[in-house]
Amino acid sequence: MNDEIVLKVEDLSVIYNSSRGPVRATSNVSFELRKGEALALIGESGSGKTTLSLALIRMLAKSAEINAGKVLYTRDGKTRNILDMNDGEMRAFRWNDCAMVFQGAQNAFNPVLRIRDQFLDTARAHGRNDKEWLRQRTLELFKLVRLDPQRVFDSYPHELSGGMRQRTLLALGVLLDPQIVILDEPTTALDILTQRAIIDVLNEMQTRLNFSIIFISHDLALAAEMADRVATMYAGEIVEIGGVNQIFYEPLHPYTLGLLRSVPKLSHGQDELVSITGNPPNLIDPPSGCKFHPRCQFASEKCSREAPPLTEYDAGHQSACWHVDKVIEARKDLYKKKVTES
Amino acid sequence: MATRSSPVSSASSIEISLLDRILDRWQKINSNYVVRTIIQALITVWAVITFTFFLIRLMPGNPIQVYVAQLMNAESITYEEAYGRAAAQFRFDFNASPVEQYFDYLGNLLRLDLGDSIISVGTPVISQIMRFLPWTLFSAGLGLLVSFVTGFVLGMLMAYYRNSPLDHILSFISSLMSAVPNYIWGLMIMVVFGVQLQWFSVGDLRGTYDPRLTPAFTPEFIFDIFKHALLPVITYVLGTVGSWMLSTKSSTVSVLGEDYVNVAEARGLSERRILTAYVGRNAALPLFTLLAISIGFVIGGSVLIESLFVYNGLGNFLFQSITGRDYTSMQGVFLFITFSVVLSNLLADLLYARLDPRIRVSGEK
Ligand SMILES: Nc1ncnc2c1ncn2[C@@H]1O[C@H](COP(=O)(O)OP(=O)(O)O)[C@@H](O)[C@H]1O
Ligand SMILES: [Mg+2]
Repeated sequence: MNDEIVLKVEDLSVIYNSSRGPVRATSNVSFELRKGEALALIGESGSGKTTLSLALIRMLAKSAEINAGKVLYTRDGKTRNILDMNDGEMRAFRWNDCAMVFQGAQNAFNPVLRIRDQFLDTARAHGRNDKEWLRQRTLELFKLVRLDPQRVFDSYPHELSGGMRQRTLLALGVLLDPQIVILDEPTTALDILTQRAIIDVLNEMQTRLNFSIIFISHDLALAAEMADRVATMYAGEIVEIGGVNQIFYEPLHPYTLGLLRSVPKLSHGQDELVSITGNPPNLIDPPSGCKFHPRCQFASEKCSREAPPLTEYDAGHQSACWHVDKVIEARKDLYKKKVTES
Repeated sequence: MATRSSPVSSASSIEISLLDRILDRWQKINSNYVVRTIIQALITVWAVITFTFFLIRLMPGNPIQVYVAQLMNAESITYEEAYGRAAAQFRFDFNASPVEQYFDYLGNLLRLDLGDSIISVGTPVISQIMRFLPWTLFSAGLGLLVSFVTGFVLGMLMAYYRNSPLDHILSFISSLMSAVPNYIWGLMIMVVFGVQLQWFSVGDLRGTYDPRLTPAFTPEFIFDIFKHALLPVITYVLGTVGSWMLSTKSSTVSVLGEDYVNVAEARGLSERRILTAYVGRNAALPLFTLLAISIGFVIGGSVLIESLFVYNGLGNFLFQSITGRDYTSMQGVFLFITFSVVLSNLLADLLYARLDPRIRVSGEK
């Protein structure tokens, strides 16, 4: 990993025009993605993770509208705003620069074409017509994701198990050597052992091929394992972002703290799991001030009035909260018990 | 299994192992999709043939009895004479037992001997069928093809632009069209364009070609064939294109919602490639099956249209046979229709297996 930035998102906002009014699914999101790093997006479902990732490759639903912001993508020293690309540039950008594994896509492969033809389709769409190159590259990638190369190459999708298909998709994802791979809950449909295998494969691929990952998950254990940095999303906003250890051991936002407390594996030795009270907010008519304040144990009158800006507290660790000091106080018990146990 | 490895294999255990092997063999054959489908089709054909036999020969008040009574009345001949004539035309030996008659009947069918026509005395039914069949295959087949292609293209358009004004208009038109039976379309064409507007002369377009021309591969003759087939073809298209549009739309809409279409877009494939290989191919799968099945209904569906336009195909022939009480011809055409329905269903199954690897492979294993 180095400091070279491949993706810089500035003030990105997405609205869905629904029959009940505009849904503010992503509001003023800003973050950076460095070369070779894995950034995890965590947060309850409905917090806008999928919307954010779809906006990055401009594959949002027709009802969606990107109404503000920039997505700056850099390759070989050249920076472009993805939101300004025309259809042709966008098509070229997809998969060649940024591959995506969609949430819940069980049938990512066309059932009537062999796997090898779908790899060929992908290569051809980006001007790579050399079949021998494709064959070598594909077989190599299949080995990397621990598939039986020749068998999978000649298979139809239905001849592969769910786990094998997911690995095939990962291999397809890096076929063209993209700089970014977005994985939206890539393992939720799989059993626990297959999940494990996929994560191992993914880690190995990343070490070998050095692409950047945006890893979306509501499974914090997986996120902790995959990520170098973590961003917590709430109600369409990034409320905290920092290094993986900062987020998991020294959270600075009450929502992140709440998430950690509600997970058995991470809240070592804690007597009881505490889930966050209340429901995710209505994004058509979100709460005033800090959107989390109705569910927050530390909320004061100021929180309902004024939205806290994302502010840096430690190196590379930002939080959007008026009461960071109270969070630091409260997280001690999470932190202490972990230490005494280990 | 145990019986086979037993060292003291008695006669019965050998039999069992033989039976085992036969069953095993049968299972292998039966698990082969293609073979299984063909066997099912053959069984269906046999069942229909047998059923027809009982219906025509043995049921009380069956066509042969009716025909015999008719003959006696019309030509004031004896029962024996009339019965003898009927037997000759229907090709059976009235002295033989029903079982023998049944096997004779099967044998005749295998030799494609469907008896003699009653109206056209001395002409075998099979040669009548062969004479009229090509015209029906040509006109109804052309209608089916044009209708399918048009419906498929328009249906895909509707699916791609669903909820647009275009979709709403086409949906309305196609529902309306598919609700009107094809002979109503035929009548409307006849009355509006033939009688009212006089765009064509109803009399001139009768038949399959102008009798003043000699059949040959000349441009003039071929043009004339198309001219005479035009009205039936248009009628078939109007009668079926609406339902092709609607089926294509619903099939395409469901494919457009599939993950792999979305992923194909994310992979940066060209719209054209997605449209043909990803959306089109998958949307067409169920429609090809429907298409193959509808081939079987071409003859049955042509009866009213061909008699309306006096187009000399098999449908018109059946219509004439029914009105003229030509029982042997009716029997022949009905058997032929059955056979073509079964055959087209078989074709549909085999075609589906060819086009959908999911079926192909599970059948082979
Ligand atoms: N196509 C859509 N139309 C309207 N609202 C949508 C659509 N997709 C998502 N949303 C809304 O946007 C919000 C964020 O959803 P999503 O991005 O899927 O969150 P996550 O991936 O974190 O679960 C939710 O409130 C959801 O209901
Ligand atoms: Mg999601």
